[in-house]
Amino acid sequence: MNVKKNFLKGIFEENQLFVALLGLCPALAITTTLENAIGMGMAVFFVLVFANIIVSLIMSNDKLAELVRPVRIPVFIVVIATLVTIVEMVMHAFLIDLYNSLGVFIPLIVVNCMILGRAEAFAAKNKPFDSLIDGAGMAVGYALGIMILGFFREVLGKGTLTIWGSLQVDFGFVFDFLGIEPLELFTSPVGAFMVLGFILAAVVAIAQHRKNKQASSKDVK
Amino acid sequence: MNKRMTSGIVLLVLGLLCGILLAGVNAMTAPVIQERQLEKVNDTLEGFYDMSQYDVEIVDIKGDTIETAYVLDGKDSGTLDAVVYEASAYGYQSDVVLLIAINQDRTIHDYAVVSENETEGLGSDAVTHDFNLAGSSIDDLSEFDGIAGATITSDAVLACFEAVQDRVDEELGG
Repeated sequence: MNVKKNFLKGIFEENQLFVALLGLCPALAITTTLENAIGMGMAVFFVLVFANIIVSLIMSNDKLAELVRPVRIPVFIVVIATLVTIVEMVMHAFLIDLYNSLGVFIPLIVVNCMILGRAEAFAAKNKPFDSLIDGAGMAVGYALGIMILGFFREVLGKGTLTIWGSLQVDFGFVFDFLGIEPLELFTSPVGAFMVLGFILAAVVAIAQHRKNKQASSKDVK
Repeated sequence: MNKRMTSGIVLLVLGLLCGILLAGVNAMTAPVIQERQLEKVNDTLEGFYDMSQYDVEIVDIKGDTIETAYVLDGKDSGTLDAVVYEASAYGYQSDVVLLIAINQDRTIHDYAVVSENETEGLGSDAVTHDFNLAGSSIDDLSEFDGIAGATITSDAVLACFEAVQDRVDEELGG
């Protein structure tokens, strides 16, 4: 399989957040700042890549695969839960602020259907290296997705953009210029749904546009 | 051997391996986590008293509300000068954790909310709110001033003070 195509499919045509609509719960809940989105993206990247590799290693051994097949879902869950717990412990020890703001959504990565979905749909049927590329692509696509959400929600809702720790860009002057306050609505759950809705509309519009273009270019021929 | 049985054993082995791995990671991170927590408490205590003047003795209470007491003995005199209690009670949607410092003469020296996750803009004001108790005696909480609009969070804070009121004899004597 083409490595580049395998990687890019996770970012564009099979983007888990905007196309498959998986992993919405953390995506809506923690994207109040860009920093949270980046932290969540990193955690998901680690878990997804390693879960894909380990699952693929287990399932590519024929003898082991035959034994594991009847209990494969529990096996996948054990692998994913272990990785998530490692992420949680490390974050608690070394990134305490991020740990506090992500809260319960770190352990909830275990039940993120995206990760179990990739293990079952891709890693269990493909070679370890392909699974690694697939996991990395899917995770980057997801991370970019929640970062876009976080970007809009933080800029509109708080008038700032927190990249990491104290590294912060202030957009207060834009709101001063317009003579309005930042729209706090966007930091609330309602705002999360609205931003997601607008982005989904944009994604669908672009996909539709490309489809029409392809169709019309075929007609001309 | 029965195939299902073997599958079960594979799962068991995997679980054990993961457990050992997690134990290893936990052994590495747990001391760091504990150190961080202690550091945070110490920072707050530093705000109450000049800690270089005191020896701190940590008493594990493990009560419903009060978990820990930090007994402060003066370095020069060697007598008990103050006790700081770490108390927590459930508020509107999270545990509200307070550090309450009681002087040897039973007056409330100071207090601080060190951890909460209450409603932004209402209950979360507890961190900066002046509950109007500093300087009054722990035996008389009538001056307590709650937060308008956050009754349940205020009640949790008051519950912490009441628990300290019940407990304070143990450390300071009746």
